[in-house]
Amino acid sequence: MAPDAALHSEAAAPSLDDIVLDVAGAAKIFSGNVVALEDASLSIRRGEVHCLLGANGAGKSTLLKIIAGAHSLTRGTLLLDGVPCRFRSPQEAALAGISMIYQELDLVPQLTVAQNMLLGRVPGRWGMIDRARRLRVAEAALARVGANFSASAAVGSLSIANQQLTAIARSLTMDAKVIIMDEPSAALNETELERVFEVIREITRLGVAILYVSHRLGEIRAIGDRVTVLRNGRTVDTFAVATTTEQILVEAVLGRNQALLERQARRPAGEALALDVRRLRGPQGLDIRDLRVRQGEIIGLSGLNGSGRTSFLHALFGDLRFTGEVMLSGTPYAPRRPGDAIGRGVALVPEDRKTQGLFLDAAIYRNAMLPSLRHRRLLTHERMRGTARPVLSDLSTRFHSLDQPVRQLSGGNQQKVVFAKWVVAGSRILLLDEPSRGLDVGAKAELYALVRRLAEDGAAIIVASSELDEIYVNCDYIWVFHEGRNIHRFDPTHASRDEILKVGLVGSDTTAETLS
Amino acid sequence: MKTLTQASEPGTSAASFSGRRLVELMLRYNFIVIFFAVVIIATCLSPNFLTFRNISNLFQQASVVGIVAVGMTFVILTANIDLSVGSVVACGGMVASLLMASGIPPLVAVAAALAVGAAIGGVLGAISAYAAVPSFIVTLAGLVTVRGVTYLMSNGVPIGGLPASFGQFGSMQVPLLPGLHFPLLALLFLAVVALAALVLRYTVFGEYVFATGGNAEAARLSGLPVRVIVTIVFALSGMLASLSGVLLAARLRIGQPTAAQGLELDAIAAVVLGGTSLFGGRGGVVGTVFAVMLLQVLRNIFNLLGLGSFYQMTITGLIIILAILLNRAIDSRQGRR
Repeated sequence: MAPDAALHSEAAAPSLDDIVLDVAGAAKIFSGNVVALEDASLSIRRGEVHCLLGANGAGKSTLLKIIAGAHSLTRGTLLLDGVPCRFRSPQEAALAGISMIYQELDLVPQLTVAQNMLLGRVPGRWGMIDRARRLRVAEAALARVGANFSASAAVGSLSIANQQLTAIARSLTMDAKVIIMDEPSAALNETELERVFEVIREITRLGVAILYVSHRLGEIRAIGDRVTVLRNGRTVDTFAVATTTEQILVEAVLGRNQALLERQARRPAGEALALDVRRLRGPQGLDIRDLRVRQGEIIGLSGLNGSGRTSFLHALFGDLRFTGEVMLSGTPYAPRRPGDAIGRGVALVPEDRKTQGLFLDAAIYRNAMLPSLRHRRLLTHERMRGTARPVLSDLSTRFHSLDQPVRQLSGGNQQKVVFAKWVVAGSRILLLDEPSRGLDVGAKAELYALVRRLAEDGAAIIVASSELDEIYVNCDYIWVFHEGRNIHRFDPTHASRDEILKVGLVGSDTTAETLS
Repeated sequence: MKTLTQASEPGTSAASFSGRRLVELMLRYNFIVIFFAVVIIATCLSPNFLTFRNISNLFQQASVVGIVAVGMTFVILTANIDLSVGSVVACGGMVASLLMASGIPPLVAVAAALAVGAAIGGVLGAISAYAAVPSFIVTLAGLVTVRGVTYLMSNGVPIGGLPASFGQFGSMQVPLLPGLHFPLLALLFLAVVALAALVLRYTVFGEYVFATGGNAEAARLSGLPVRVIVTIVFALSGMLASLSGVLLAARLRIGQPTAAQGLELDAIAAVVLGGTSLFGGRGGVVGTVFAVMLLQVLRNIFNLLGLGSFYQMTITGLIIILAILLNRAIDSRQGRR
């Protein structure tokens, strides 16, 4: 295939009824009667951004994998440009014009942008690579997505957003008719996401259709033309984004009416100061002043990626060295390792529960008990189960057996196991780093209900999140971080979301001066 | 997905369910199934196989590599590897032999050898853990260095003239029942296995070993002293390797600097064959013991059939490949990696 031909072919002007991909009655049943998808239907028009929405386990990933050729259909049909297709591999789907961009981008960090883009389709003959042509093709595709980086840059040196653009450009070189994007926003901040959106708008004008998967309703509103909602392996309906409401979508996803993202009444926090960060200086310019949390209080940390939220939490957890003056319940606090922090009742729920929080192949109760074994020598498995069980059920964790590996649980329930670890350990100060990442709308609501309850029981809680909406409705106040410093404190009952966002983006100097 | 699964399986009967469960169990403990299959084959091939004498011989022969493999199981459970054990076996045997040859009481000499083994392992483990160097490279350097030092101890010459009591210890038979004697070395091997199994299952240290191998980052963020755990595990492996060396010297009544070349590979093969994951966090010593004995029984069959070591090596290698493929298949069935 000639990759550069794709870039110069102008697609026909998109018309409303021009269906490029049509999936009807799709079902997928795995061996052992595991029904992953029962009856899913989806029609994507040429040049539209079609969103796919659904709770965890609704069958989104299965549907995506069927479309992308990674799974075969048990029942149902798939028409591409009106022609019935049965892809036997992702390569076949890609050749037919369906390109998938995975959430964990499947790029090789050590190779250059050009090498990655044409991996497996290297131009040349007799095993010799035509480097000049490869570079030309890559640069043409990069220009299409408005990239400001070089085709000979190593992918590993690019920001996540630029890697995302590389993946999109690669799809363009493959002459893609439909590009599937699986939660592209998970690792992007708002500015980066806006750039990706611009590129999406640009390439849809050329007639390429985008199947966009996201949990975030705000994004769907910003970029989507239509949205299809899946629930329990079935298509609920397809809505035009412009004429639907958030409430309708949430109901479609959950199958019941629930006020999820509204500010809940909160009991006022206690008077006792749990954590008093008078001054904390750490690596990469981290410099935090006068940040206090009282018992029973939930404070949110907002700001761009790399603004120091995660480093601050890891410093407080003894995982990063810091200097300065921090008081914990009135006594000086200088943890040298996580064990010290845990001993003082400080807990961290890390950003990535799968790689940092859990032992996926280990039993639920062993995960929940691990931090609490510090002062013991011998294990009594029966006693461990006995301690873990009431805590897990108190957090309404759903599981079949305590001996089940955590891997088998849904994302929301996995996160509850992480919380259970610290409840068992008796932690009084909870540092939560992106606690709702990857959770669906229902699981998020449940998670924050849990956070509020822990606060009402007297825990002091710090939540770092890139989703302002979440901390806006759940926190008593919000600190905005910018370039390693806490520059402004907002009371969400008085400040608007836009104000908070703006300070996070531009890092207003005037507020920083008034603070110091 | 989970809820759908339950809802859509009303037709499965209890009988087929328990049948499926049995298959799952057999797949999970496939090394036991394979082991008994090989034992049955051996019994059919030779009437001499299933005699008490032959069995106790098998255990005695397996004890050296077996004890090393137990230490290796700990190391691999933490997602590390210890290539130095073969050299440490030789080193431990030589240290004990040299000390005894110079008149130091056997107990003191053995204790010193164990301490040297633990120190070598501990240093290698600490380098790997604290300098964040892959253990493969550190222990590869250890393999060469320790072997070199071992040759230097006696200029490459074997050390004889060991105390008679030490030699008797190596060939001692313990009466289990009247008329049934079991070799002391085999009993020691089984004792080490039992102790290791208990440590892994019932101590916090054992739990920490699994956690470190299962997810080192999560273990660190749960407050576990991950680097200390890795260091201890390597020290344990070094000590057990040294113990093996001492037992080997006692059995041969000689300290041999060339002993146990390539033993690390036998030990690693046994651990992996026994179902312990090279990625860490899953497995245990029981599987290792079955695998050690399986390899020993295979060797025994070949000897009984009069097939030479060339056949033995070929077939043993093929069996290891098959077992690993089987474990991979089970892993992907359960959705891991």
